[in-house]
Amino acid sequence: MKILNWFRKSPELRESDALRLAALAAPIPAQQPLAQQRFVVVDLETSGLNTLKDKILSIGAVTIENSAIALGQQFSCTLRRANHAVSESVLIHQIPPSEVAAGMRPEKALLSFMEYVGGSPLLAYHASFDQRMLVREMNDAFAYHLRHPFYDVAEIVQLLYPEHNMRNPGLDDWVSFFGLQVLQRHNASADAMVTAELMLILLKRAERQGLKTLEDLDVSLQNWRRRQQNTL
Amino acid sequence: MSRSEAFAKTGRTAVQQNIQGTLEFLQKYPPFNQMDLTHLGFLVENCQLRFYPEGENIIIPEDGPVEFFYIVKQGRIYGERRQGQDSNQETTFEITTGECFPIAALLGERATRTSHIAAEDTFCLLLDKASFIKLFSQCNAFRDFSVRGISSLLDQSNQQIQTRAAETLGSQYSMETSLSVLSMRQPITCEGHFPLHKAVQLMHEQQVGSLVITDEMQRPQGIFTLRDLRRVIADANADLRQPISELMTLNPFHLPPHASAFDAALAMTERHIAHVCLVQDGRLVGVISERDLFSLQRVDLVHLARAVRHAGSVEKLVQLREEIRSLVDRMIAHGASSEQVTRLITLLNDHTVSRVIELCIEEHGDPGVPFTWLVFGSEGRKEQTLYTDQDNGILFEASSQEEANAMRQKLLPLAREINLALDDCGFMLCKGNIMAGNAELCLSRQEWSRRFSKIVREASPENLLYSTIFFDLRAIWGPVDGCQALRRELLSMIRGNDMFQRMMAQSAIQNRPPLGGLFRNFSLDKKGVEKDTLDLKIKGLAPFVDGVRVLALSHGVESSNTSERIRQLVSKGVIERLDGDAYVEAYHFIQQIRMQQHQQQARNELAYSNRMYPDELNHLDRRILRESFRQAQRLQTSLTFRYQL
Repeated sequence: MKILNWFRKSPELRESDALRLAALAAPIPAQQPLAQQRFVVVDLETSGLNTLKDKILSIGAVTIENSAIALGQQFSCTLRRANHAVSESVLIHQIPPSEVAAGMRPEKALLSFMEYVGGSPLLAYHASFDQRMLVREMNDAFAYHLRHPFYDVAEIVQLLYPEHNMRNPGLDDWVSFFGLQVLQRHNASADAMVTAELMLILLKRAERQGLKTLEDLDVSLQNWRRRQQNTL
Repeated sequence: MSRSEAFAKTGRTAVQQNIQGTLEFLQKYPPFNQMDLTHLGFLVENCQLRFYPEGENIIIPEDGPVEFFYIVKQGRIYGERRQGQDSNQETTFEITTGECFPIAALLGERATRTSHIAAEDTFCLLLDKASFIKLFSQCNAFRDFSVRGISSLLDQSNQQIQTRAAETLGSQYSMETSLSVLSMRQPITCEGHFPLHKAVQLMHEQQVGSLVITDEMQRPQGIFTLRDLRRVIADANADLRQPISELMTLNPFHLPPHASAFDAALAMTERHIAHVCLVQDGRLVGVISERDLFSLQRVDLVHLARAVRHAGSVEKLVQLREEIRSLVDRMIAHGASSEQVTRLITLLNDHTVSRVIELCIEEHGDPGVPFTWLVFGSEGRKEQTLYTDQDNGILFEASSQEEANAMRQKLLPLAREINLALDDCGFMLCKGNIMAGNAELCLSRQEWSRRFSKIVREASPENLLYSTIFFDLRAIWGPVDGCQALRRELLSMIRGNDMFQRMMAQSAIQNRPPLGGLFRNFSLDKKGVEKDTLDLKIKGLAPFVDGVRVLALSHGVESSNTSERIRQLVSKGVIERLDGDAYVEAYHFIQQIRMQQHQQQARNELAYSNRMYPDELNHLDRRILRESFRQAQRLQTSLTFRYQL
């Protein structure tokens, strides 16, 4: 029954995809010090903001390991989507329909991305959006339940730099707050890179504030969220 | 496809997108701007990016052998070295965006000797040692840079200066110039039946090296040159009355007048000829000689010096001034150092001044008193640029005060005429009235000696200022013995006066090089019209000139030229050789930047100024300028220690 279900959900699942899917790593509980933790920083471009309907158009990801970004090990791909119309987000991301049409088969792209992630926790700016998109797409494509923890860089930065004095700061606001020199923006890879650079700064700050592990950071984040709700 | 291969493939575009930005960033800085893309791509793909918050150690000696090559992507780093046992920290250098470290330690497979510390929040690209070595072995530009360090930066900067100067020369002196522009005078011609001796006479009268033989229609039939004449004379049977048509070279090579100088130069080299006829519609319109072409490129210094020395009037000297300016342009284009250029300017200025004095004596009469023309300040130090004030005086020999007064009265009117004539020639009148026409600066040797001795004994601020002008004296016209004797006297006065030395040193460190704070780039003026500028002369050159003068006068060095003083101080063991070399190099670099700026201002017909916007310099020059200021700072620090200020 379960297997039937599986097939109905994703009728075109190929054998090779099934093998790769089975081999995907489960999330690994974080145990190392924060400074040595491997993170995958991800940024998605989508056909819109509706996490139930819209599609992922491209994925950009950067790995932070031992508090460094290896420039030669980044992930990026555009997903092949039929009938991709020119929408508002096309204007932002500047992925032309032709490129979307020429992209990688979505199943293959998602699997490659998950292989790149391995068992590491994920980071993103406004992570809940990227999380919902990926959970849904993985479910739609493979009925795969994505359980990797996501951490929101937008939250972490407000937690660690409460002196910012900005209302609802966006990624661009932080870029200018830290004086980051950004070489390119608004494509998934470049945005993932900027988010990762921001995270390098945050890791140092966390360390100086005595947050030694991902768990410490998690606890602080929960407290911060509670405080935010109380002040509202 | 294996997992890593799949990454390699899917990752490729990301790498390309994000790496493209890093590539473009690196291509703004040496040596990366000279590496080819394959090597640069290899570098970036093997780099990792790290963040160092302000104050964090990046590498310290205790880390052991260095494992990475670091490039500053953003931010600033300073080096700190522990001084001996008492653990005093001394900041030794600063590294900013686009610069890399620690090359020496990496190549020497050792730990750094200096702690590298983030001066502000800093991002660095780190290349692992294995990749560094691979790149080092495969990429020449990278290797040269790593091995030669800062000295190769200086070379590059000089090359840039030369290219720039060549570009501006290009518009005037390009080999693309058409021949019709270059051949200014009417060609000298004669007909074929002209006897040889008459033809030679014509060439001599007209001061030309060639004669074109034409028919009635001005069509060239042949050419006769000095080279042909030599051949004819070598023949013992030569008959001077034979017609030129029997001796000329038939059908001379010709080009149309719109052909370029390059075409002509090419033809001359290929055919081993020294003259090319210019022919339009079959008729001769001009002749171009090898010399016409060479005058484009060859700097005839001797000729210019001779022209100055024999100029018949001040007006002629004014004209020659323009030629001196273009000579300086060309000197820089040919790679002359600022030292060579200032020496050349000094030489030509000395000739000009001497000629002005002689012309004034001719015009206004000989005062009947032998005198020596003294120059002070930059002219005295042989460090003039083209645009300077006059700083001069007169020295004469008198046996009594009455005689001195009488002589002065005779000399002053002439001195004032000379000052005015020099002003016409571009040596501006001195605002502080440091000029021979001022009765206080037209003195007998005894009077000069008293005046100097007063300056040394009473070190008032005014006297200290005078010392920086007068004590760089030099004789450029008239007998030199008096000046020499005066200088020796001066040196012995100062040598025995520790107090004066200390006061001089104190005032020499007043003009601090414009390096802001410990970590800042340049400290620039904050307000007014001169916002964001720094004064190259006062803040950059003066620390060297003043600092070196103190040491030179205190140690009996007779030269007044700054680099010569440094060299002599090195040979006397007062300054260490390495320090001396660094001072000379830094001083000349600042001077070079200043001269370039003056030339540019002259070309753009702007008033000349020593104020510069460091932001307008290219990255390389800015970096070297900063290092040069740092050398000035070191010189001042050494004075502070030496004189316990």
